[in-house]
Amino acid sequence: MGVARLIRPVRAQIYFACVVQAIAAVAAVIPFIAVAEIGRLLVVGGYEPAQIWLIAGIAAVALLVRLGAVTGAAAVTHIADVHLQLHLRREMAAHLGKAPLGWFLDIGSGRVKKALQDDVHEMHHLVGHSYTNRVAAIVTPLVAFGYLMYVSWVFALICLLPIIVGMLAMSTMMGDQAKQMDLYNRALADVNAASVEFAQGIAVIKTFGLVEGAHTRFISRAKSFLDQFYAMVRGALGPMSIIDLLFSPIFSLSWVLAAGLALAGWGVIAAADILPFAVLAPGLAGPFFILASANHQATLADQAARRILDILETPTLPAPEQPQRFPDSPEWSVQFDGVSFSYDGEKKVLDGVDLELPAGGITALVGPSGSGKSTLARLLPRFWDCTEGEIRIAGAPIRNLETADLFSAVSFVFQETRLLQMTIAENIALGRPGASLAEIERAARAAQIHERICELPDGYQTEMGPDAQFSGGEAQRVALARALLADRPVVVLDEATAFADPECEYEIQKALSELVRGKTVLVIAHRLRTIVNADQIVVLDQGRIREIGPHDDLIAADGLYAKMWSALRQEEGALGEAAE
Amino acid sequence: MIAGLPEVAGPEVARDLRRNGAAIAVEAVVVGLGFILLVPALRHLFSGEVTEAWAMVGALALVTAFYGVMRFFSQVRGYKIGVNMAGVIFERLGRHIAQLPLGWFDVSQTGRLGRLTSQGVIEVITVPAHLMRPLIVGIFTPATVAICMAFFDWRLALTALAFAPIAYVTHRWAAANLQRADKAHDLAAVVAANRILEFAQAQSVMRAYGQLDRESTALDAALATERDAARSHVLTMGLGLSGFVIVIQVAFTAILLLGVSFALNGRIDAPELVALLVLTVRLVEPMFSSAEIGSVLRMATNSVAKMDALLSTPVLPEPKDPKPAEGDDIAFDQVSFAYAADRPVLSGVSFEAPARSMTAVVGPSGSGKTTLLRLIARFWDADGGAVRIGGVDVRERRAADLMAQLSIVFQDVYLLEGDIAENIRLGRPSASDAEVAEAARLAQVDEIAARLPGGLGAPVGEGGAILSGGERQRISIARAILKDAPIVLLDEATSALDPINEAAVQSGLQSLTRNKTLVVVAHRLHTIRTADQILFLERGVIAERGSHDDLVALGGRYAAFWDNRLRASQWRLGA
Repeated sequence: MGVARLIRPVRAQIYFACVVQAIAAVAAVIPFIAVAEIGRLLVVGGYEPAQIWLIAGIAAVALLVRLGAVTGAAAVTHIADVHLQLHLRREMAAHLGKAPLGWFLDIGSGRVKKALQDDVHEMHHLVGHSYTNRVAAIVTPLVAFGYLMYVSWVFALICLLPIIVGMLAMSTMMGDQAKQMDLYNRALADVNAASVEFAQGIAVIKTFGLVEGAHTRFISRAKSFLDQFYAMVRGALGPMSIIDLLFSPIFSLSWVLAAGLALAGWGVIAAADILPFAVLAPGLAGPFFILASANHQATLADQAARRILDILETPTLPAPEQPQRFPDSPEWSVQFDGVSFSYDGEKKVLDGVDLELPAGGITALVGPSGSGKSTLARLLPRFWDCTEGEIRIAGAPIRNLETADLFSAVSFVFQETRLLQMTIAENIALGRPGASLAEIERAARAAQIHERICELPDGYQTEMGPDAQFSGGEAQRVALARALLADRPVVVLDEATAFADPECEYEIQKALSELVRGKTVLVIAHRLRTIVNADQIVVLDQGRIREIGPHDDLIAADGLYAKMWSALRQEEGALGEAAE
Repeated sequence: MIAGLPEVAGPEVARDLRRNGAAIAVEAVVVGLGFILLVPALRHLFSGEVTEAWAMVGALALVTAFYGVMRFFSQVRGYKIGVNMAGVIFERLGRHIAQLPLGWFDVSQTGRLGRLTSQGVIEVITVPAHLMRPLIVGIFTPATVAICMAFFDWRLALTALAFAPIAYVTHRWAAANLQRADKAHDLAAVVAANRILEFAQAQSVMRAYGQLDRESTALDAALATERDAARSHVLTMGLGLSGFVIVIQVAFTAILLLGVSFALNGRIDAPELVALLVLTVRLVEPMFSSAEIGSVLRMATNSVAKMDALLSTPVLPEPKDPKPAEGDDIAFDQVSFAYAADRPVLSGVSFEAPARSMTAVVGPSGSGKTTLLRLIARFWDADGGAVRIGGVDVRERRAADLMAQLSIVFQDVYLLEGDIAENIRLGRPSASDAEVAEAARLAQVDEIAARLPGGLGAPVGEGGAILSGGERQRISIARAILKDAPIVLLDEATSALDPINEAAVQSGLQSLTRNKTLVVVAHRLHTIRTADQILFLERGVIAERGSHDDLVALGGRYAAFWDNRLRASQWRLGA
């Protein structure tokens, strides 16, 4: 059970609250018993007024105790819940901070948000209400029933009869309901899919003038969901109505009065003994609904807990036991040594890659999509750890480096850019905390973004919110300024960053040229022309290195690269776009 | 009961709702009367009038039976109405959405729409099915009991009634406080949610630059703030709820003590006291449950409000007296357009694109290029001026006729669930298999199909998920080739395609655009240079216009732009 592990930090508070709630539950029955006893005394006669006042006084005190205890228990569980929520969110954030970076590419921020925000919230009812509700729902009827047994066990058992029948009916329905629920969920998923398709596809369909088809398809799927829903509900309504009736106070009252009259008539009980039953029996069944609802909430909370645990059980990147440091004046070369990688443990995306990135040189990765170039580049900043083999920077295996040390050597610029919610100056200075404004400005100029920043209302002090006013290409250049200022010796980048925003492509290119100067560079290349000057070009195909060498050598070798190059030349020729 | 529901669900459903509500009210009153029967029943019992006591029990049994039957039918009716209502809403939403302007369907809208047309409708079903009953019963049963109590003892009834306004005021006070705390809490939650999204989306940046130390992170601060807001939310709620409970309990205690003293003085008899106390409890109980219903009701009300807003979004007007187009040329006549009133996107744009000519639209990002393209397809209507095709204002064309004349190939391609052939056939549903195959060949979709099990019959997954972006584009081009409309609107892809997809897309586009009137938002130098005319847009205005050679010779904005792009194409890494 996932829930038990998650709520461990507040277990003591929950136990305590349950005890207090139990006191409240007993105290809640006492006024009813008092009313019944006062009634009995009044009917039978022969009482002292003081006796009656005493009972009334006890009832009043019990009401006070109940009020205090209920409030206390609720306060304890709710405050515990609030703290648990923060605790779980922190635990998840701390854990995810150690998950492989690649995990975030696969999972998507929506799911992280759902776990940290919605799923944690979903557990509120469980911690705040479910446990104490269950205690109340069990203790209250037990005490009441005990008292009734004491008055007349025969009558008490008779009062139990409709409740037992109702519960039996309920339990036989449950099995049926689970099956129905399954059907319902499937129909709901279907209508959800239809909605999404309708919403997203309508624009396409409209442009082909087929509007009629689109919405009739949606409406007919929606209606078939409704039919299914109604069939499911209609079948359950009959038995459900009978259960509701059996548990209703008005039925209980009729039952008690009829049975009481009969029992009194046969002399089994005194007429006055009917009073306790009339007072207490109508309330006996109520808690079952509370229990049912608490169970439902518990199921939801359990599902949420499962999703939270999924996050907490995400494997993290192992931290080195004995961290290694870089040598004093390192040679910033990088070795890939027999590197293999698989996302799923079956299909190898990279298969035995041996590669050396020369210090201060540019290495370009080319190959068809799916060849593994992006994966290979991302292994260097440890988006994932390779499944086999080893990657070394300046002789140190990256697995043996502290995260901070690794990133003191490696910076990366990929297509997906997200500025942090802080000022632009802070965003740029991330890579060198304490950088002067002049240094920040110099980096921004080199990244061709200085002028654009100056156009903003607060210049470098403008906050970058979730609704940042920057276009993709502009954000890209801020990220480049950051990398420039950080000045790491090893740079991994995706050449596609340059043409995400064609209107500022040249500006980004200039920034990239600045960034790679004198660095050990690994670049994912999409356009062959861009990387003809690279020190070595690595041609990847299906996770293996097919060819490696500088442009001229590869052309001379007349292999895959030469074919790609001549295809490019041909296309350019055909289109007349030889760019001169 | 829920504002806007009659408008959204239509008059027939509204009438059914009222009827069922009335039936539930009758049932609630009868149940209240049934409770009151307890008083005479106990009286007769303790006076030894057994026959009369049995008569009362019989009456109570009848009331119970009546309640059971009524409840069953009102429940069935409630669901029936809920389902009918959902049907009406689905139908109305579906029809209305289909008539909205194309420009309305951006990403955020479609996400919300998907939720509204599924979960939202189901929330609305709960109104007649679950919510109406407890709300109505919660008012009518206690009211009946309270009124009847007055007949037995007006002083006790008065005491009970005296607390009603106090309870009401406490409740309102608590609700108002809660709303404030709700707002503060929601705000803190939104801030935290943004930080969480940032944490997930910018994880690589945060980690690379050591931003994850717990104490220092903005995320942690936001989470702590959210905790504080949640705590004060809980305290406010607790305070309000306790206030309400205290009032109720004080009332109950007062009635208890007062009743006991009356009974001791002989002003009321024992059965009456007991019955009245039991009834008081029954009076109080429904009030507690109403608090829980509130939140469900709020959700339903929100959904109804959103549906109402959606249904009142204006649709694109269809002309009363549609005109046919007489040609495939396009003309903009002083066209102005703005998404938000204070920020014009296009102002006074005029140009002509002769039939079977090629017009390239270029300019900095945000200059209005895509908007210009969309106005031709009537994604929106121009605010000022006119867009004409074949000499006829697009607003005077039937939507279906206009669409038949256009092929649109945009960057974001959404494929419908189904197989590749179905998606291509969307271009012309009457096309033969051979024609579909030919279109597939021209756009080099046959090469994709050959790699998939099932060939052209291979399913594309939801939204085309199993295909790459380039492959989806090729299918959308095949679709347009099959449609063979005389005008082609093209938004050239900016994203990087691998060389194979790039070549396939280019050859497909060549087949598509041959002998067509082509307007293209162009990024490729080749496309731009071969255009018959180039429109250089800047801040929503055509800054320069002419052929490539003319504009380069002019030495203005376009020449600078071209020079910049040319350099970009010649750039070498590490040179």
